[in-house]
Amino acid sequence: MNPLSKWIGDFVHPPKEARLDLGRRAVLAAGLAGLGAKLLFGIDPQASKRSFNPALIRPPGALPEDEFLARCIRCGECMKVCPTNAIHPTSLEGGVEGVWTPILNMSIGYCDYECNLCSQVCPTHAIRQVDVPEKKKIKIGLAYIDKNRCLPWAYSKTCIVCEEHCPTPKKAIWFEEVEVLNIQGEKLTIKQPRVDPDLCIGCGICETKCPVKGQAAVRVTSVGETRNPENQILLSPDSFGEG
Amino acid sequence: MAKKKTSWIVWLRRLTQTGFFLLFCYLFLQTVYHPINKAGRGITFFFNLDPLVALSSWLASHALVGAMLLSLVTLAVTFFCGRWFCGWVCPFGALHNFFTSLRGGRAKQKLEVGGYNQWQKAKYYLLVAFLVAALVGADVVGWLDPFSFFFRSLSTSIYPAINKALVALFTWIYNANPGVGPVRLTMVTEPIYGFLRKYFLAVEQPYYWGSMLIGVLFITTVVLNFFRPRFWCRYVCPLGALLGAVGKNPLVRLKKNEEKCNSCRLCLVDCQGGATPENPLEWKPSECFYCRNCESDCPAQAISFTVGHGGPDVRAQNDTALRTEAGEKAR
Repeated sequence: MNPLSKWIGDFVHPPKEARLDLGRRAVLAAGLAGLGAKLLFGIDPQASKRSFNPALIRPPGALPEDEFLARCIRCGECMKVCPTNAIHPTSLEGGVEGVWTPILNMSIGYCDYECNLCSQVCPTHAIRQVDVPEKKKIKIGLAYIDKNRCLPWAYSKTCIVCEEHCPTPKKAIWFEEVEVLNIQGEKLTIKQPRVDPDLCIGCGICETKCPVKGQAAVRVTSVGETRNPENQILLSPDSFGEG
Repeated sequence: MAKKKTSWIVWLRRLTQTGFFLLFCYLFLQTVYHPINKAGRGITFFFNLDPLVALSSWLASHALVGAMLLSLVTLAVTFFCGRWFCGWVCPFGALHNFFTSLRGGRAKQKLEVGGYNQWQKAKYYLLVAFLVAALVGADVVGWLDPFSFFFRSLSTSIYPAINKALVALFTWIYNANPGVGPVRLTMVTEPIYGFLRKYFLAVEQPYYWGSMLIGVLFITTVVLNFFRPRFWCRYVCPLGALLGAVGKNPLVRLKKNEEKCNSCRLCLVDCQGGATPENPLEWKPSECFYCRNCESDCPAQAISFTVGHGGPDVRAQNDTALRTEAGEKAR
């Protein structure tokens, strides 16, 4: 018998030292553990696609959630490369299955309009490769104004910071000029910011730069994200049967 | 007994390990914004070499990134040459190797904890669980994949901590600026700081939510090396398990000359993987990192690694040698 055929023979009937001796029952148990894990992940409410965690904002180009989770290897490349420190490891916002996948936290950083580095570095394309022009059109969420905290809305103070930072060509934050009373009862005209949900891409620079500390007066949630058609705040014109 | 000189092949291994470790760190530091809007080049190199993330990601998503086909090279070489990747290439393994080498203790103590342990099978069970989960659509192998674990820990925890400490240290020296007359400490430290600022430090101090847990887990894996040599690689690493399973019957094999062996068991003292080199009949290729410490440590030059099918011939030889030896002893 030549060495090659011996070697092949050893694969069919491995010699003692080449056996892993794992034991059938233990291997079966390990396999069932993997299966069981998937079953438990599968009954997380977010798997229903009816419940979306508003805090779960994924990087631009991230695949729909189930495909994203099937690819993301939680390596932290996107977290390292993000120039604004916006991407963080998820705790439990995406369920147990999502632990250590990327999540954007706009209180620390925002998604830079001209940047697609996270999509460049993702080794498994869980964040698919999008060039900058395409990336600029991707909505990762939607900003909303907290009227109880916003300076013009709640305190009749002038503030246009969010609108100034808004990067979209036509600003997604616009003003309504209204006549209001200040705390002394004097009339004054003030600009109250509003968000256009069609233009807003959820980049979150308004939240990062908002001068209201603690909780910003304008915040981003995941609703409206391009990657999950179910997670929308506005019905599309089609929904009304208008075509 | 005078300590035997470390063999050149062990030094070569240390060199390649250091090289790949530094490459990993270099690529890590390159994973930043470069003008204009460019990430560093080739920074996913180690992930492309990693057959575990390729397999898991492919099982779960039925898609594979082209560059990940590079991991087939790792698999092919492992199939023929065994689990050398863990001992010669893996930067996370190099880290554990380094910390394992820092532990003190006498050879006798090392012998007590260094041998093969049944719990080393745990990594194979973890691998099976991860792959089955991936098969049904849950790709969570990144929790414990060594490159993911290492990179994630560095990026969200270890690097920010080092960054903050260095900046604080140099700022403190700069403000205090101790010295005698015109000779000040900052004359030395400021050029160093300038160098670090240019090549190492982050532009802005990074902060990450949940970095504490990630950092503590990382430090735990490092500290465990003081209780068992290369604890992570032996007991936990699912990539090591995959490579062990693929390279369980390699062509490069440990061979022991039983006539030279005096059963001193020194080969076991620095065995990184717990592969039972002292007994070639029991030698476990799946646990062997091919670190060649056993070969280097053997005072009688009884151990060698030979290319070719060990198979029945070598086993028969060994067997005969054992019997002869036993016979001589009996006489």
